[in-house]
Formats: sequence, structure tokens, C-alpha cells
Amino acid sequence: MKSKERLTMGIIHVFLILLAVVTLTPFVHIVLIAFGENVIGTGVTTPQSFTLRHFRLLLTETHFLRWMLNSFIIAITTVAVAVVLVSISVYALSRLRFYGRDHLFRGILLIQVFPLTLAMVSIFRIFAAMGLLNRLAGLIVVNAVLASTGLILIAKGYFDTIPLDIDEAARIDGASRLTILWKINLPLAKPMMTIVAIQSFVIAYNEYVISSSVMTQGLDRMPLAVGLQSMITGQYGTNWSLYCAGAIIGSVPMLIVFYSLQKYFIGGLTEGSVKS
Amino acid sequence: MSATNKVWILLCSILLVGSGLLWLPSVTFASGPVRVWFSHIEAENETLRAIARDFTAETGIPVEIVSRRSVFDAPADLVNNAELTDRPDVVFMQAPDIGGLVESGYLIPLEIGKDLRERFADVAFKAFAYQEKIYGIGYSVDTSGLLYNKALIAPSDLPKTWDAFFATASALTHINQEGKVIRYGTRLNPKDMWFNYPIIREYGGYYYGTLPNGAYNAYDIGLDSESMQGYVHRMKKAMSENLAISNPNHTESHISYEFACGKVAMILYGLWNAQIYQNMGVDYGIAPLPHHRDGSVSRPLSTVQGFVMNRFTLQPESARAFLTFLSQDENQQRLIEAGNRGDQKTGERNPANIAVMSSAYVQSDEILSSLCQIGKQSEPFPNIPEGPIWYNYTPTAFRTIFFGDQKEREVDPEQHLKMLADRIRADVASMNERAEPLQMTGTFWVWVLCIFSGGIGLRLFVRRKKGRASYRERLSKKETLLAWLLLAPLILLLALFYLYPIAHNLYLSLTDYSGINLRDYRVVGLSNFRYIFTAQISGLVSLTVWTIVFAVTVIGLSFLLATLFATLLERIRFSLARIYRVIFILPWVIPAVITLLMWQGLLETEGGMVNQLLGWFGLPAVPWLSHPLWAKISVVLVMTWFSFPYFMVLVQGLLKTIPQSFYDVARIEGANGYRVFTRITLPWVFRAMLPMLIMGLIMQFNQFGVYLLTQGGPAGDTLGAPGATDLLITYVFNTAFNTKRYALAASYSVIIFLFVGGLALGAMVIGKKRAEGELS
Repeated sequence: MKSKERLTMGIIHVFLILLAVVTLTPFVHIVLIAFGENVIGTGVTTPQSFTLRHFRLLLTETHFLRWMLNSFIIAITTVAVAVVLVSISVYALSRLRFYGRDHLFRGILLIQVFPLTLAMVSIFRIFAAMGLLNRLAGLIVVNAVLASTGLILIAKGYFDTIPLDIDEAARIDGASRLTILWKINLPLAKPMMTIVAIQSFVIAYNEYVISSSVMTQGLDRMPLAVGLQSMITGQYGTNWSLYCAGAIIGSVPMLIVFYSLQKYFIGGLTEGSVKS
Repeated sequence: MSATNKVWILLCSILLVGSGLLWLPSVTFASGPVRVWFSHIEAENETLRAIARDFTAETGIPVEIVSRRSVFDAPADLVNNAELTDRPDVVFMQAPDIGGLVESGYLIPLEIGKDLRERFADVAFKAFAYQEKIYGIGYSVDTSGLLYNKALIAPSDLPKTWDAFFATASALTHINQEGKVIRYGTRLNPKDMWFNYPIIREYGGYYYGTLPNGAYNAYDIGLDSESMQGYVHRMKKAMSENLAISNPNHTESHISYEFACGKVAMILYGLWNAQIYQNMGVDYGIAPLPHHRDGSVSRPLSTVQGFVMNRFTLQPESARAFLTFLSQDENQQRLIEAGNRGDQKTGERNPANIAVMSSAYVQSDEILSSLCQIGKQSEPFPNIPEGPIWYNYTPTAFRTIFFGDQKEREVDPEQHLKMLADRIRADVASMNERAEPLQMTGTFWVWVLCIFSGGIGLRLFVRRKKGRASYRERLSKKETLLAWLLLAPLILLLALFYLYPIAHNLYLSLTDYSGINLRDYRVVGLSNFRYIFTAQISGLVSLTVWTIVFAVTVIGLSFLLATLFATLLERIRFSLARIYRVIFILPWVIPAVITLLMWQGLLETEGGMVNQLLGWFGLPAVPWLSHPLWAKISVVLVMTWFSFPYFMVLVQGLLKTIPQSFYDVARIEGANGYRVFTRITLPWVFRAMLPMLIMGLIMQFNQFGVYLLTQGGPAGDTLGAPGATDLLITYVFNTAFNTKRYALAASYSVIIFLFVGGLALGAMVIGKKRAEGELS
């Protein structure tokens, strides 16, 4: 029995390690290129000698830290805006019975089918009309919209699972809607908030298409994704090593966020998707 | 009104006003400085700022120099910003990009005085000449030449004619006893049209012919001429002599790398990897190309970069004055030196100014001086809007001609070249086709009205029946008001960032908006839709089928894998699972742009890491991305790799919600792990995740990642037909964008939006019905 158990565990680990290898392979390649010397193109050859030069170059000769800071500011603010936006909207969609609710909810899901990346001309016009061009505020707003619409399905599903009885008990005790939301619903929805927060962080941190079109002036005002991209086609010729080095450092904050919050994250996502 | 509601209203108003404040336009001045969009090289920007200060001191006109990300963005950004308050007055851009901008009216022709004309090489103006007017002043000439390794060939031995080039290259190629090539005379890429262009010219082929007045005639394509047979023959001979790459998937990068390794004597290339050649100890030089048979100079293609003027500038006189000022010899000198990073002399900027060419800075450096000789005589790439149509077909066509078709059969080059030229001509015609306004007949509107009112009628009928049958909850007016108020911020933002783009897109689909008509487009009715449904419907059915197969397989596989691995993770220690989870989440966290490129490299047939691994286990190499079926499999696998982590995170928590009693019953009945997984875990997880799966499926329809991985290829044998991995969306947009027919692209997106949206709506309604059915 014991040996059989051990065998099963062994097999499980073999599977997990296999998947880990498959998952990690491209990243091994990224690391090789980031540290590799004399890399021409990405698929040409495996580098033979290694150096820290690209990391040094990245930190000294580009606005890398500035880009990271920009992205961080954008992402953190997006998280704040998205969490507020999602909780208010989801509260209304989940807790209030009102005319047009189902249609509205379906509508919010449906418009996401439209590939926004193809309508950059229109997005640009909106930005221009509002004076949001070349401003971090603009990117924060648009990222918050992207994140909120994308997350409303999960968030509503989660909110629906919080029993109504508690609300009603509180209302009988004379609590106002605001108190109920603030003191009862939101604390219960903490896992959902974590999801919304992490996902909006990832969305805002990695957004490229819109940012690259509306941030036209100044090398130091760009978010990280756009700055990194400019290193492939810009200042340093086709410098893949620099790009990969940037991608590695750039992803560290997100991995830290994920690692430290994964308990909430996993718990939260689950219950959200149970019944939506 | 109760106190709570007042608080709510206050809160929402604060949010609304707050978001409004964010959008207050920045303060702008009516007559700002002359704004110049310049370089991605900061040293160069700083130098231009210094020059601008001199200019301001002299004239009193303020100038602002804007650092830019990349010169490639200049045309699109100019179109977007041309009429804004802080519009650029002078823009640095690539000459090949000006065609569409001139046609659409974004650039001002410049008066080039005799003095200016004499101080710059002809190429500086020729590149920016469009229909007998000049729209820009060239500053740097990006070009290529004969790059050679001094250790393998002495400068004096460099070939003088193309025939000599092939003879010398052949003589320099060394094969050791084992039959392995240890040194190459040259390496050519048979698929290429850019670096090989001078050789194509040698054999009488050409890109766009010119009219007597010097303007390009886009319909005159010299690729199916009889003399091109000579080129095909020559290139095939070079391939048999090891003078050309033998792997159809290899590119210039591979050639450049072989050169960097010191294995190749001469290549046709530029200085883009010069730093690496130096690092790897190659003593290289660059020389003008061999001459043509008749003794005339062989001209490599070049991309001239220079300054153009925004037609909507508010201060054309000041802008012109600054343009003249920065074109002065000493200012050009300062800029070129900054652009080449001073003493590093990187060759990034190749002067068009004659005084700079003959300056000590350039002449003291063998590479720089040789490069400007080449640049002076180069042929600027055609700046007409039709210019880039080439790129879309020549690699595929030449691949087929030199490496065989998809079944690796040889093809008749003559026939194939004709197909290539015809295809390009068809695209040129398509690009220049002006959509005819389509007048709708009365019958059409009657039909629309009938369908519309019929739909509403049906809807009301169903609603009434349902409303009577089931109990209808009373909706309080107060609650409705409160809800809409709470949702107002989100709805407002959605209206701005989703509804407006959708509506605008719908409007564009009814116009003749295109790359050569970016501004004064007019409404042409349903003309684009007619075009789609009459001319192009043939390929769409199979594409739609593949798109659906792709989306379903990716989501299905992701779901299965996610559930399986989430179950496995449940069984191991939490601390270990935590680490696995961080590893598994990586694909979701790192930008897809870079990981997709990595996959591209890993899946290379020769030398790709995946095939190397297979080789260790004694398995044969798999043509992952070059065989149609394998490419389809690869695309599905890679996209699954992207989407499974997110699902796995979802499933992991979900597993905790399965009631323990289910497992207890299963254990009593003696079910093994496999049965528990398929009978309990999978159905439970599936039911719970259905809404997410539907949304995921819908999102896969708009999957542009595939394009980054395979560019839709491998391409079919018919040029312009969908490639093996083209999805509906990537294919239709590619065809529309290749010919710059943006209104057509907009029409496609409307159709796809309706189609996919309809599917999504159907799935949601069915999902909801099922959920309600289960509840009752």
C-alpha cells in the first residue's frame, strides 16, 4: 500500500515536472538571450558566451527604470480605479433588482467581442478630444475600463454567491445600503477584490497597443511595454538581448504580486465562477 | 429621499466629477513653438536642440524638439496628430512612407532652392519626390552594400562585375574531406527581394517601372519578363554551389550570423549587426556592389530618412526657415556626428549632405566613407503607396520557385513568376479602386424595415407570453434609479471606449476610407459589404470552419489540461504546489509578444530546441511551423500553452467546492482515480466554468497571437490565398491592410462582430436557460 502510494506520488510529480519543463522552455530561451553575447535574431542560434552587459546597458543607457516606474504608477492606479468601479457596478448588478439589468449585463459582455485593437483611430480620437494624449491619466482610465469590463463576469458571479440573508438581516437591524456594502459585502468579497486587483494589474502592466498609439511624445513618458518594444525597432537596432533582459526584470513585480497573493486569488476566482 | 441614497448620489457624483477632472484638456497656447518630431537617438535629439537654440537666438522663433520612439510610427502618428493643438510642424520620417500621406493631403511640397539642391546628393530629393514635387529633405541614407571579411578576401580582389562575383564566391567556397562546407564565398537568400534587387536588375527584372516624367508606374511590374528566367537560373546555380541558404526557413539573420562567425567572405548586407561582427573579431569592410554587365553602377535599394512638413502647420514660414537652417552644412555635420555616436562611428546615420560626406569625420573612417559612396548611388525604395505590396508576396513566391511547393515538388518558374506579377498587379488595382457609392433601392429599405419590425414583434410576443406565464417581480422605480446611477460611471466609460469605437467603425465601413484617402473620405453606402459578399466569399467558409475548430480545440484542451493538473496539484504538499503554481502562471504574466517569438525560435525545424530534444530521444525532426498540418497543431498547442494557466487557477479553487460526499460515494463504489476524475471532477468543473469557457471561446475568435507566431503561414501555393494557420480575423484584416483598404477592414470587423456576437448571445441565452432549468 505504502509503495503504491509512493508510486502514484512519483507519477504525479513526473507529470508536474514535465509540464513545468514545457512551461519553462521559452523562458529558458529568454534568459539565454538576455545573458547571451552576440545574439542576432531570436531563432538563429544558441548563444555561446554570456555577459551581464545588457542588464547594465538597460539600467544605465535607457529610461528603463523610469518606464518601470511609469508602468507601476499606471498599474497601481488602474487597480484602485478598477476595484472601485467593479465593486460599485457589481453591487448594482448583483444586489439591486432593476429594469434592464439582464440586458445591460449581457451588453457589457457582448461589446467585449469587438476587437478594440482594430479601432485605434477611434480610440485616439477619444483621447485627443479629452486631452488625454501623452498623459499617464489617459492610460489609467482606458486600462481601468478594459480591466473592469473583462472582470465583471467573474466579479458578478462571486457577488451572487454571497448570501442575501446577511444583507437582509442587517437591513432589519437598520443598516443602510452603504453600511451593508461597506461593512458586510465588501469584506466578504475580499477574495474577489484580490482577483480584480491582480488581473487589472497584469492588464495595465502589459497593455501595449493603445499605449503605443497615444503616447507619441517623449521617451521617458512611456510605459514599460512600449519602451521595451522600442528597443526592438529603435535606438539600439534590433537588440534582442536588451529586450529579453528588460522582459525579465519587468516581470519580477508581477511574479512577486502573484506569489504573495495566490491564496486569495485561487480562493476568490473559484467561488466567482461557480455560479454566474 | 433617504439619507443613504443621498450619500450614494454624492459618492457617484464625486466619482463622475473626479473622472471629469482627469480629462480637463491641458493648457495650450495658440501659437506655440515650431514643433519638430525627431529621432530615437537621444544624442541626436540633444544636438538638434542645440541647433534649435542657435536658430532661436538668430531669428527669435522658438523651436521644440520632440524625442520619438521609432521612425516607423511617424506616418500613423502624424495622421493622428496633424490637426491637434500640439501638432508637429516638421516630422522626421522614412521616404517610402510618404506616398499615402501625400495622396491624403498631409504633406506640403517644399521649394528646393538651387543652393540647397547642390549641397545634397540627388538621392536626398529623389527619395522624397512624388509626382514631380519634392516633399522632404533627405538626411540619412540607410542602405546596404558588399560586406566582406578582410581575412578571407582582400579589398583589391573584390569582384568588379556580377559574373565575377559569382565566380569569386565559388572559388572562395571550401569544402573539407567530409563534404562539409567550412567556408563560403557568399551566402544569398533566394527568397529575398531587397538585397538581391541589384542582381535582379542585372538580369533585367525590376520592381515598379517609371513613366517618362520619372514617376512610378505601379502597374508596370518587371518580374514576369523573360529575362527573369536568367535570374532564377543564376540563383538555382548559386544554390547548387552552396552560395545560397539551403534551409527555406532561414533569413538574413542567419546569413549575418554566419558572417559574424567568420565563415563567409562576402554578403549583401548593411551595417546593422556591425557591433556584433566587431565583438566576434571579424575584420570587415563594406564596398560598392559589383557593376552591371554594361559597366553601369549597380544600385542597392535604400531607405532615405529625412524631414517633411505637416500640411496643417500653423506657421509654415517659421517651419520652413528652421528646415533650411538645419539643412546647413555645419548643422548637418553636427547631427550626423551625434547620430553616429561621435567617435564610435556606428554607421547608423549615413549622410546625404555632400559637405558632410567629404568632411574629415567621414573620410577618416573607411567604413563611413565607403557607405556614403554607396548611399549616394543607391536607388530609393519606391515611395508610392503601392510600394510595400511586394513584401506580401515575394517571399512566398520565391520560396516556392527555389524550394518547391508545399509538397516539395518543383514548380515552373515562368508560370509562377507570372502568377506573382499578376497578383501584385491585382493588388495595385485593388488599392486604386475607388468604391462606387451604392444607392440603396426602395425594396432594400422595405426589407430592412420588415426584418427589423418582425424581430421586434417576435421579441414582444415572446416576452408577453413569458411575462404572463411566470411571476413577474415588481421593480421599484427608486431601486432602478439608484442602480443606473451606480452604473453610470461604468456605462459612461464603456460608451466612450467601446461604444464610440464600435459606432465609428460602423461609420467607417460605409465610407471609402483608405491608405490613400485618409482624410477626405465620403460615405459610399454598403459598397464595401457588396464587395465582400460578391468577390471574396469563396475562401471564407473553410476559414470559418478552421477558426471554430481552432477556438474549440484550444479552449477544450486548456480546460482538460487545467483540470487534470489542478487535480494533481491538489494531491501534493501545499508548499510545493505553491512553487509549481508560480511556474505555471508564467505564460500568463509575461507579455505574449516576446514568448511567441521565443516559440517561433524553439519550433524551428532545423536547430530548434524542440527538435533537438526529440533528436536526443532518437525521434525524427518535425516540421513544426513549415508543414500545413503540423503548423495547425503547433498553433493549437502554443495557444493552449497560453490559455491553460488562467483556467488552471480557476479550476484549483473550484475543486474545493466539490462536496466531499461525492468522493465518499465513489470510494464506496470502488471507483479508481481515473473514474473519479472523469465522472465527478470534470463534469462538476465544466458546469461551474461554463460562462468562463464561453467567454474564453469567444475571445479565441479574435486571437491575433497566431499571427505573431506563424504570420498565418505556411502559405498555400496560390498567392494571396489563406495560409494554413490563418484565422478568419487575421486573414481578412491582412488582405484589407495589404491593399490599405481600411474601410473594407472596418466592414469585415462589423461582420465578424455580428457573427461572433450572435454566437456569444446564443450561447449565453442557452446557458441561462439550462441554468434556470436545473434550478426548477
